[in-house]
Amino acid sequence: MADTSQGTGGLTFDKSKRSWPNELNILLALVIIIVIFEIIGQTAPYMRGQSFLFDTRDRFDSIFNEARLQIIILQVAIIGIIALGVTQVIITAGIDLSSGPLVAATAMIAMSFAQTELVNGNPNPKAIFGLWAMDLPVIVPVVVGVAFGAVIGAVNGTFVAFLRIPPFIATLGMFLICRGIALWWSNGQPVSFPTESYKFIGSGMMPVVWFVILAIIFQLIMSFTVYGKHTYAIGSNEEAARMSGINVKRHKVLVYMIASMLAAFAGVVLSSKGATAQAGMGEFYELFAIAMAVIGGISLTGGRGSIIGTVLGAMVIGVIRSGFTYVKLDGSYQLMAMGGIIIAAVVLDQYRQRNKA
Amino acid sequence: MNKTLIAASFASLLGTTAIAQEIGATIAAFDDNFLTVMRNGMTDHAASLDGVSLQVEDASNDLAKQIDQVKNFVASGVDAIIVNIVDTSAGAAMTEAAGNPPLVFVNRQPDNVDSLPDTQAFVASNEIESGTLEAFEICKNLRAAGKGSGATGYLMNGELSNQAAVQRSKDVHDVIGTDMCSFMTLIDEQTANWSRDQAQDLMTNWLSSGEPFDFVIANNDEMAIGAIQAMETAGIDMADVEVGGVDATQDALVAMQAGQLDVTVFQDAFGQGAGSVNTALALAAGEDVDSKVYIPFQLVVPGNIENFLRKN
Repeated sequence: MADTSQGTGGLTFDKSKRSWPNELNILLALVIIIVIFEIIGQTAPYMRGQSFLFDTRDRFDSIFNEARLQIIILQVAIIGIIALGVTQVIITAGIDLSSGPLVAATAMIAMSFAQTELVNGNPNPKAIFGLWAMDLPVIVPVVVGVAFGAVIGAVNGTFVAFLRIPPFIATLGMFLICRGIALWWSNGQPVSFPTESYKFIGSGMMPVVWFVILAIIFQLIMSFTVYGKHTYAIGSNEEAARMSGINVKRHKVLVYMIASMLAAFAGVVLSSKGATAQAGMGEFYELFAIAMAVIGGISLTGGRGSIIGTVLGAMVIGVIRSGFTYVKLDGSYQLMAMGGIIIAAVVLDQYRQRNKA
Repeated sequence: MNKTLIAASFASLLGTTAIAQEIGATIAAFDDNFLTVMRNGMTDHAASLDGVSLQVEDASNDLAKQIDQVKNFVASGVDAIIVNIVDTSAGAAMTEAAGNPPLVFVNRQPDNVDSLPDTQAFVASNEIESGTLEAFEICKNLRAAGKGSGATGYLMNGELSNQAAVQRSKDVHDVIGTDMCSFMTLIDEQTANWSRDQAQDLMTNWLSSGEPFDFVIANNDEMAIGAIQAMETAGIDMADVEVGGVDATQDALVAMQAGQLDVTVFQDAFGQGAGSVNTALALAAGEDVDSKVYIPFQLVVPGNIENFLRKN
């Protein structure tokens, strides 16, 4: 028998099987993937000896290719914001499929309140409302967008918690409803030409700034507040959580609301980044957000996972995407490889969990 | 007694619907900008005609759904069907699904376009023109800028399953293959799926390699705008880079007025929509119609932009 000790509550645990935190594994995977891209870059004849991560052409002050570092995280920042919310939902043993279309619907609605009256001296050709909605302070579209997200999240949460509809079904329904709202809002027409202050929200590296700030906030909330503890408790054992006095139903509604508000904010940032809102935006965002959480080591049965893990999962997807373009891999192969990597991440994690148990 | 009454009222119903022309249309996707303008062209034109009723359905990029929609139109006895096909390689299946009622393919060229029966036709712009017009104009601009001894750049493809994307990219390669434009070299080509957001990320990825370049050719305007936004963020002077798109959307024209976009090509979406309705009505009336009705593409550059500001 291995060396066992008494843990809290009389639980025994095996010291010899205690391993480093899961997040370190993902970090290790990240490094391995980067090294693989480096090797391909240095050895493949068509690459002309470029480096993936390092500045081989003396373009930057640091030794790194700063442009590469930026795009790696920039291209996953917006989906990453969604993933922060999805992570919380999955920790409660739920799922949220509605976030992609919610991004599109929010983008359309928020952008309609962010339009500018004159474009190059001409009236805005994509105007949705009359003059009263032109050149509003930037806070208006942001609040309208996030409030819309809160309503959608409240509906999701109510169906899941009070009407006991499986989260997969409830949010699948909302997936279709939100896509419908996005299409109906302006009859499929794009909404464009926002004010300068609205454009700032998603300009340059701003999506990364939002992503990092929100990730820090929610990591702290999940680790140190009652909200976080209750979320983990519900995911680990819902019945036990209810018995110990947690208002499970109300808490679930709150979690779904927060997730949808984060997705809605992602919609605001996305429409600002492109300076346009289109009904087809956010396609597959919900699935990539879930993939980020999964690569980050979350358990779809609830109770296990972390915001840091999801951030690292997002980084993995960012590195892979940027690396594929770097080695000039065709789009069709990119999808196949991405799918393989997501499955491999889960297989490895499951294997590790089994060994630990 | 009752039965004869009911039969009579049905007959009178049929009588009234026979006078009006009913057209059923199915569009590949309602959320596509260009197709939306085309759809508006169809509905506006149909509304302006007396006795024409048009019902438009969304195939949501689902071919099986679209075939069912066509069969439903046939079952409800429409006088003509308009199809903006989801998958251009499924032309034969669509032709068969429609059966006897006249069928008009619009915008997207089905693979059986050369073997359509007399009751069917194809209305669109000739896709060979767009990529060629775009690439050749960029080639001329590069020469005029004194880069005729050698220029490098990138090509952004639309969805790889889409006929127009494949054709436009092939046209670009063909233009680069000519003696006059052989000084142009492509560093890389990748898909950004027609999307502005994906094009931003793709362009930023390309920029991160630090390779110098002179042009970016995109299969559509949305991707060209995404590339422009990424280059502006990176602090590149847009006067030094030739950027081309296709569609002449409002957003693209504004970018052109701002001196960012250099070339785009106007595809008359509204005209295609209206043209498809006219062709459908002509076929329903039993008239002889060419199996291919072409609405021409037009080159848009800063010099003639005024003519296009109020279109699309």
